[in-house]
Amino acid sequence: MLNLLTGATSTVAALNAERLRLEVITQNIANANTTRGLDGKPYQRQQVAFESALRGAFANPNEVEGNGPTVREVKPDTRAGRTVYQPGHPHANADGMLQLPNVNIHEEMADMIVASRTFEANLAVIKNSRQLATLTMSIGKR
Amino acid sequence: MVDAIFNQAGYAGAKKMLDATVLRHSAIAQNLANLETPNYRRVDLNPSFQAEFAKAIKSDGGVDLARVQPTLMEDMNAVASTRDGNTVRLEDEMLNLSQNTLQHGFEIQMVSGALLKLRLAITGKA
Repeated sequence: MLNLLTGATSTVAALNAERLRLEVITQNIANANTTRGLDGKPYQRQQVAFESALRGAFANPNEVEGNGPTVREVKPDTRAGRTVYQPGHPHANADGMLQLPNVNIHEEMADMIVASRTFEANLAVIKNSRQLATLTMSIGKR
Repeated sequence: MVDAIFNQAGYAGAKKMLDATVLRHSAIAQNLANLETPNYRRVDLNPSFQAEFAKAIKSDGGVDLARVQPTLMEDMNAVASTRDGNTVRLEDEMLNLSQNTLQHGFEIQMVSGALLKLRLAITGKA
């Protein structure tokens, strides 16, 4: 098929992956204080793992189309959360200790900035692809 | 007769460079797409293309320009700046992106200029 927007396939894959990552970060921040989920445990921070779609394509790096990242899995972060002494809390244990989610708001904010910058960079690529296509179509015009 | 203008080193060279620029654009797009992919290694134009291309232009028909093909390969000189083993650097890649876009515009002008000259010769109107 005629491909006017060079490299658009991988860029779109990246935009999708970054958007999913932003959604997961949103979920983490929203649940930063959820001390009891459906399983009766505090919320566990989720994280996304990226991988390149066509790793095998390195044998032939000229087939770059569609070589964008995909989200392999969204998996929980298994680090332990903080515990605080809060005897009056309904979710506190017998000793008055309350298990908090393992969400670190600073970490999430930093991740969020990285994700949105990556998103922006990919938008810039699309913009440039468009410019390339427009210019190419103007060959032979004054 | 008309063949002459299409075989000029300048026109043929600009055309070949256009191929290379578009290929490089897709490489940069791929690099930026994988900005956050662990262990991803950036790709770029094969450095030997530049050398072969220059040789073909200099030889003025001695080396067949049509046989010089731009290809992509993994950038062996790039070093990972973070612990995830990814060798893409956002700033460098954005610079490459705008440089490449400018270069594309320049090459389009070269090609267009040659075609417009031909039209001028045929019609006598600019």
